[in-house]
Amino acid sequence: MDHSAHPALHPQSPVSANGLPARAGIGLKAQHYQDILERAPDIGWLEVHSENYMCAGGPSLNWLTAMRERYPVSLHGVGMSLGTTGPLDGHHLSRLTDLERRVEAARVSEHLSWSTAANAATSSTQGGGDYLNDLIALPYTEESLDIFSSHVRQMQDALNRQVLIENPSSYLRYAHSVIAEPEFLLAVTEQTGCGVLLDVNNVYVSALNHGFDPRAYLDQIPGELVGEIHLAGHSQTHIDGRTIRIDDHGSPVSDEVWALFDYAVERIGPKPTLIEWDSNIPKLDVMLGEAAKADDILNRHRCPAITREEVRHAVAG
Amino acid sequence: MPSLAELQSAMRDTALGGDPAPLADVIVADGFRPEQRLSIHRNNTTILLTEALAATYPVIFKLVGDDFFAAVAKLYIRAHPPQSPCLFEYGATFANFLRDLPQAAELPYLGDVANLEWMWNEAFHAANAKPLTSADLVAVAPDDYDDLVLTPHPALRLVQSRYPIQDIWAANQCGVDSDGSETTIDLNEGGQNLAILRPAATVSVSELSPGGLTLAAQLAQGVRLLDAVIAAQHVEAAFEPSTPLAILISAGAFCAFGFYPHA
Repeated sequence: MDHSAHPALHPQSPVSANGLPARAGIGLKAQHYQDILERAPDIGWLEVHSENYMCAGGPSLNWLTAMRERYPVSLHGVGMSLGTTGPLDGHHLSRLTDLERRVEAARVSEHLSWSTAANAATSSTQGGGDYLNDLIALPYTEESLDIFSSHVRQMQDALNRQVLIENPSSYLRYAHSVIAEPEFLLAVTEQTGCGVLLDVNNVYVSALNHGFDPRAYLDQIPGELVGEIHLAGHSQTHIDGRTIRIDDHGSPVSDEVWALFDYAVERIGPKPTLIEWDSNIPKLDVMLGEAAKADDILNRHRCPAITREEVRHAVAG
Repeated sequence: MPSLAELQSAMRDTALGGDPAPLADVIVADGFRPEQRLSIHRNNTTILLTEALAATYPVIFKLVGDDFFAAVAKLYIRAHPPQSPCLFEYGATFANFLRDLPQAAELPYLGDVANLEWMWNEAFHAANAKPLTSADLVAVAPDDYDDLVLTPHPALRLVQSRYPIQDIWAANQCGVDSDGSETTIDLNEGGQNLAILRPAATVSVSELSPGGLTLAAQLAQGVRLLDAVIAAQHVEAAFEPSTPLAILISAGAFCAFGFYPHA
């Protein structure tokens, strides 16, 4: 696909240049506020779920502000429901823009999914609806692409900045889907200039749930579009003797996902990489251990400061 | 092929307990039945929203236990799904839901305790403001007391119950009673009137007399002090404002003062 129409996505200027360092960061949990401020661990950055901090005031915002003085903070939304038909929730969008200014977010991201839907029995045309607190995959159709891209544009216009869109974990597919997920995601980046938040665990979960090759999926995402990587643990549920993988962020990153991460970074280079942990939250040290593991892999694939090409120029000059 | 709007509203219905049959042809089976795949999303919605309610209502959770809470939360989630993705705002109607719930009729105080937890939650997330202190009011001349108008702190919440809800709430905090000892609370010991505040980082709960609660409620509405005291005296004949005022001011109930403008 041709990405040359978007100067912001020039291959030599990675999307992460204006945001987060290409190091490991961790998801900030309330359980770790005190520990992080006291110990000031050497981590590259922090990420929070935007919706948890859209309050008028109080301790959680104070903590976040204190973190922001020490680390870059990325705002990861779980509630914009960019894939829902009808208008975006304008109130939610304005709360996000307020928070983004308040914490001078280094990055803003959202999901290729939907979470909110109207009750057909009582629905109005005002947008909004019932929030299901779930990230549900879209049918990949032209209709979905139009709706999703227009919502990404609206979000970017309101924030006046690029957002990253994360590939989802999925547990079902739709009979009328006609576009493969990576192609759909790339079409959204083409239409909107957004970047990709590549969740390697989600690729793995979906690949096992639907029987595709996760490496082939990763190979389709151009490195220059990737502004951030997510890593997390998942669980397995058994239905009628068959296994389905659930993206519950409640355990260490699996060996298979580490191997996929290594594979991806080898091709696309080091990117800001988040360790996510949202249930069964462990001690801070466990998350820092996962972050150190991610940093080792990132460092292994870091380009030397002077490339061979530059040496040749220097010698020739 | 359904439109995206039709698909999403049908999936919303199944996520909230509705019949998955209308989606049978839309979901690719691939080894599982479509309703099994949809049940994963139904579980996500139920479990994650139950956790959100439990985070806002930890005392109710402790009072009724895991299984009862999960059952009540499921009913509530399906009847009143969140209208905002900010889940700290989810559950505003849970107290009334519990009051009307036949299964909870044996625990008549449950709704009032839930109301206390909701007000605590609102105070926790309210805007920050520097509270007025008694030192700020030293300069007010006694002749001007009657016309004093106090601006309520954004976190100020008032709660009234015919049950001893603060005692119930305090005895059922996380970590309380971990030594196995039990606190006995007499439900007939009388009601409690509470002011919930958050002057800085910590939420506090202060008990008021019935007149004190009326005084606080009147002042919070911008009524001048003299009229607020008169209203409190209707509730409590021997009402005397200095003690409740001192409690409210030291708890950080107000953030500014002015005087009632006489025309």
